[in-house]
Amino acid sequence: METEVFAYLDPGSGSMIIQILVGGLAAVGVTMKLYWRRITGIFSRGKKVEEKS
Amino acid sequence: MSPEIAGGERTRLEPGSFRDADSTVLYTDAGVFRALSAQGLEDFEALAASQLFERFAGDGRLVGTERVEAAHGDLPALRNEEVAALLRHEKIPFVSYPYEWPFGMLRDAALLQLDLLLAGLDEDLILKDSSPYNVQFRGAQATFVDVGSFERLPEGEPWIGYRQFCMLFLYPLMLQAYKGLAPHAWLRGAIDGITPTQMSAVTSARDVLRRGVLTHVRLHARLERRHGERPREVKRELHQAGFNKELIRANVSKLRKLVGRLDWIPPSGVWTDYGERTHYTDRDTEEKDRFVRDVAGSRAWDLVWDLGANDGRHSRLAADGGADYVVAMDGDQGAIEHLYRSLRDEGDRRILPLTVNLTDPSPALGWRGVERKTVLERGRPDLVLCLALVHHVSIAGNVPIREVVDWLASLGAALVIEFPTREDPKVEQLLAAKRSGTHLDYDREFFERCLGETFDVVRSERLSSGTRVLYFARPRGAVPAARDGRTALGR
Repeated sequence: METEVFAYLDPGSGSMIIQILVGGLAAVGVTMKLYWRRITGIFSRGKKVEEKS
Repeated sequence: MSPEIAGGERTRLEPGSFRDADSTVLYTDAGVFRALSAQGLEDFEALAASQLFERFAGDGRLVGTERVEAAHGDLPALRNEEVAALLRHEKIPFVSYPYEWPFGMLRDAALLQLDLLLAGLDEDLILKDSSPYNVQFRGAQATFVDVGSFERLPEGEPWIGYRQFCMLFLYPLMLQAYKGLAPHAWLRGAIDGITPTQMSAVTSARDVLRRGVLTHVRLHARLERRHGERPREVKRELHQAGFNKELIRANVSKLRKLVGRLDWIPPSGVWTDYGERTHYTDRDTEEKDRFVRDVAGSRAWDLVWDLGANDGRHSRLAADGGADYVVAMDGDQGAIEHLYRSLRDEGDRRILPLTVNLTDPSPALGWRGVERKTVLERGRPDLVLCLALVHHVSIAGNVPIREVVDWLASLGAALVIEFPTREDPKVEQLLAAKRSGTHLDYDREFFERCLGETFDVVRSERLSSGTRVLYFARPRGAVPAARDGRTALGR
């Protein structure tokens, strides 16, 4: 389940993204999936399902 | 109700411990405690059941912690929530801050932070922050004091503390290792550390070739500029893309390798080689050692400050003489770095080496000016060693002799002080840089008069060289204020 509450610390958006860029092999799958979702997201923006938190 | 906690009105909250709502440090006469919220307790139970807790607490890398019973009425309210549990911590003899640590201490604190993270990931735990203020030193041993930092790893969430790790550990270390720039002034001026954008601004095109700079500094700063305003969306996207703990592990392992490779070789400057000593005859050194040893062994000292500690020779004599704990302070990071490395290799836990400039000591910092304390507020000494120092403070630092003595008297401690006379070669050298006719107060007779006004001189001895005099003096008059604050933890 996705947590919506942040810790008391600001994680920084850029600081989160960089973690998949420096993650090496462990990050390949996640990176591909992230960008795939972004590409498909462009075409499916209209029927995006409400996300439950 | 536990008798130790009785007397709620004597409970004092640690003013620097407010950022994490689930965990608050407080003091009573019985010691150092940590109050947990319901969420904090849940996280602590997960930690207490882990193998890492036993392993790291066992060898002292995690502060000694036990759960104690307490009645709610005895405890201050935590924000808008009742205290769910209370922990008792082992005391840290003297609290110190990253802007007082030489490079090696900050690096060891960083490695400890990363080791705890890696060990935690194995058991589905993570540290919710990455602050060097969560690390303290017992002598030369780094120990992690904020058990409230551990929480159960939220699935699919990135490492929240990464940015803080960069700002307070990685960038300061890189500044020293790559740029030869001591980060202390910056850390002292910025309680949250150096931002990626700031760090990026001080790195050159050549620096980009150095390990870690391209990604952790340049790219980091760029991504932050581009995505700064949408943390929630980024987090959701990463979660949906399958972000997992193996990714965190890969990052932390790489960072550990990077930090482990960062190094700084202290320059062998005037102080580092103990330039003063070249002016001593061997005989002087022997006499001085004996003097310090005699005083150190004359009674039990709880806390000794060695001011201008340099290579720590006299700190060691004090510790060997039976002093419980010695804080070795010197303004020169190089000397303190060397001292730290040798103490660490010896596994010392009695001498804490700190980079402190006595003419500009650590101020109170942070929210209300109480989050970080001045050196004095963290514990008063009962013996102060002030050897081969007073001429530097008075002549090079322009502090009048009477001021120096008055300040030492204000510490309320016994004093061992060395006064090099105007005929001393080192003093002549310092005076030569000044206009003639200045520093007329730098005079043995005048010094003795000032000393006699605030101290009882128990013993004095002129060293064989003839240009240096040692004094052992006890403070006169009122007993200094209660020696509290010695138990204060960083956060």
